[in-house]
Amino acid sequence: MSHTQDKTSALGQGVLIFVYLAALTVLEYFVAVTFNAVSILVVVAVVKAALVMYYYMHIYKLNSSDGDDHNSYQYKTGTNRIGLWLFLLSDSFVFAGLMVMRANLLGLTRPHLNQLLGLAVTSVLLISSFFMNRGETAMAYGDKKAFMNNTLITFVLGLGFLIGVVFVEWPLAAHEGLTASFGNPASGPMGGVFYMMTGMHAFHVLTGLIFLLIVWNNARKGVYTAEKHWGVEAAAVYWHFVDLVWIFFYPALYLIGKAV
Amino acid sequence: MKRFFSSAFSRGLLWQLIGTLAGAGLVTGIRALMGLSVTDTFFFTEPAWVLGGLVGAVSYLFGSGVTADWVKWARGMDTPEHPEEHFSGWEKYINVSLDHKVIGIQYTIVALLLISIGGLFALIFRTELAASELQFLTTDMKLFGQNGPQLYNTLMSLHGMIMIVSILLGIAGIMNYVVPLLLGAQDMAFPRLNAFSFWIAVPAAVLLLMSLVLGGFDTGWTGYPPLSARAPVGMQMFFMGVFVAGWSSILGALNVIATVLRMRAKGMTAWRLPIFVWASVATSIIALTATQLIGLSFQLVMFQRLFGMGFFDPAKGGNPVLFQHLFWFYSHPAVYVFILPGLGVISELLPVFVRKPLFGYRWIAMSSLGIALVGFVVWAHHMFTSGMNEYLRVPFMYSTLLVAVPTGVKFFSWVATIWKGKISTPTPMLFVLGGIVVFLMGGLSGPPNATVSTDLHLHDTYFIVGHFHDTIFGGFVFPFFAAIYYWFPKATGRRMNETLGKLHFWLMTPSFFVLTFGMMYIGLLGMRRRIVDYDPALGFDTTHLILTIAGYLIATSVLVFFYNFFNSIKNGEKADGNVWNSRSPEWQVPSPMPTHNYDQAFEVVGEPYDYGLEGSKYIEFSTSAKSKH
Repeated sequence: MSHTQDKTSALGQGVLIFVYLAALTVLEYFVAVTFNAVSILVVVAVVKAALVMYYYMHIYKLNSSDGDDHNSYQYKTGTNRIGLWLFLLSDSFVFAGLMVMRANLLGLTRPHLNQLLGLAVTSVLLISSFFMNRGETAMAYGDKKAFMNNTLITFVLGLGFLIGVVFVEWPLAAHEGLTASFGNPASGPMGGVFYMMTGMHAFHVLTGLIFLLIVWNNARKGVYTAEKHWGVEAAAVYWHFVDLVWIFFYPALYLIGKAV
Repeated sequence: MKRFFSSAFSRGLLWQLIGTLAGAGLVTGIRALMGLSVTDTFFFTEPAWVLGGLVGAVSYLFGSGVTADWVKWARGMDTPEHPEEHFSGWEKYINVSLDHKVIGIQYTIVALLLISIGGLFALIFRTELAASELQFLTTDMKLFGQNGPQLYNTLMSLHGMIMIVSILLGIAGIMNYVVPLLLGAQDMAFPRLNAFSFWIAVPAAVLLLMSLVLGGFDTGWTGYPPLSARAPVGMQMFFMGVFVAGWSSILGALNVIATVLRMRAKGMTAWRLPIFVWASVATSIIALTATQLIGLSFQLVMFQRLFGMGFFDPAKGGNPVLFQHLFWFYSHPAVYVFILPGLGVISELLPVFVRKPLFGYRWIAMSSLGIALVGFVVWAHHMFTSGMNEYLRVPFMYSTLLVAVPTGVKFFSWVATIWKGKISTPTPMLFVLGGIVVFLMGGLSGPPNATVSTDLHLHDTYFIVGHFHDTIFGGFVFPFFAAIYYWFPKATGRRMNETLGKLHFWLMTPSFFVLTFGMMYIGLLGMRRRIVDYDPALGFDTTHLILTIAGYLIATSVLVFFYNFFNSIKNGEKADGNVWNSRSPEWQVPSPMPTHNYDQAFEVVGEPYDYGLEGSKYIEFSTSAKSKH
């Protein structure tokens, strides 16, 4: 968090970015249902991802100078940040591999899914990212109580997303005939691809939720301060990363191509 | 003995056993409740073994105690930045230590152990191949639920993957030991993650070996479906072992990159980095990212077997060639992961023993990165005969041939560095020179495989086997031995025996040439790889017999090395100074080095490889008392 900015404007920026992201999500939904233009969907997803990476995940902090003292908290946090981003880079290759699999096996077709439910879980995850940002900003200004409240909201929304996907969407899809392909030639590889992609993402949501619980509990114990809260920053960046992945997975599974 | 059984290593194994049984028992219980079958050929059912293997590996980590500090952090507790070492002597190496030098040695020892196991497997099937017809791996014999030829397939497949894992651990060992010393750092950037990366490799090795006794598998190390989708349970253990070992590689690579970015001594700018560090960064970029794809491809086959998700099953709309793309996206760049650190060792050691500046430092540094980056776009040259889209063949042919350019840069630099040098040939230098020559043979036998027209003939023959053994021996094995002989005095304060070292080299090198040239020779004549038997009418019996003898000679030379290694730890000639008269910072202080390396920080004031130039200086130790960093 750059300290040239005051708290109100930092929070205001979070709201503004959220509005952009929400508008773009609505835009991509209508682009998909009215005229199915893959190129526009790709552009929208990339813009959303760039917004999240810059304003919510603060990727520019990788470039901050941390002084010469290799043993200072600031320098170590800089090192930790590099470590976390390298991990996310590595992890994104898993998701990229799944996208390649999806493109190869499904091409310009997609499974027949409940569109409203898809939009709903996507919105829930996006809103959770917004509250995560508010929580992290609060902690950066030493407001422990606001951090805990916002993180709790993030956690509840994240849990809602997880339940929405695994316990609502999966049974619904299975009911529609989308099985994990236990010898169901009608749905072809659709089921396998759908459950694999959402499952891998859900696994990351689950780990993110555990991470949130840990930092919430540590904040309760008073571990974090305005100056020293690397754990909070890491949990927030990881949570936004989970959202970032869904920015690509949502159109890939729900919007691109023809439902069959 | 008691101290061995109470070590982190043994506790981990016990926990792995308990975890495996608990995981398998859980699945078996659930299956019993659901009215499904609860036992199979290997006692537990396949899903039970899979969850058991996973829980076992995780239990190992918690049991060994390598995660203890993280658990404390998660509970909001603080841990000392540099915990005290509880153990000394040999016990340090079988318990969790955060010191990068200890971890480097742990990696190296496990790598050597796995090399021995993989080599033993090779000797077994090499013996069977010494003559045509089935000798002792006959169809009548039965071991671990496999008959002779099936056992051959398992041993041949495991030889591949165990060697690959041992190479990954071997390079991690050298990088861990050497990189922080070269940078002037106290330790790696993330010491706990570093320990974790090592300790996760142990249960991975156990999982890999479990595949041998759980029915084995007959796919070769590549595990292509559809064969891997119906191989015995051993296949799943193999997949999981690779998956877990992959995490060791990924996290280790992450640590190396972060260390190089953040922990350099003052004045160590990009163009003054030791060349081995450049190579380590290049190799780590690949290991960090591409490794995920082999994990994913194996995971997808695991799920296809467990849940019937037909990713690679054409009958269910899947695509088996997709597996090969995902798999080779890692597994080709992986060979650059294996060789780049080795080539870095060659470039690092060569100027020391010819007393001349390294020729074309920047070119070498960039050639490592060049190989790594070009390596990302060459994978489909393994698939010229796979039935992939034909228009992909020519672009992949050219991208593959392009790798020869940065590799050629390295050769030019090495030759020019040696040119008119004052060459001395102690054992490390012998292995460096051997590595250069062997790698040249591997390099020259490469383009015929990259060219579509010739590859269609050579694919799946012993020519390929000869080619990659040349590249891996030249790019990894020879430099690995060179590195061990070279840095052994740094780690122990004693030298390895020169006579035995020379015996090791002169026994191994000619035998190795006989082995790989023989392989290429019969490969060109049509000897297929990965088969237990061949037609006597092909006339390969004599050559195969010679190959087998050469294999045993290599094994003998490695035994000489092991004797020398373990004997020298206690009885080697004392050598605590700058044994090789090197300019590198780690040799300017007495050996062995203390836990946090340098007592005084140093500053880089000149070029690293200006050997033989009057008045040149690489580093200067600060005169102030023990500095923080």
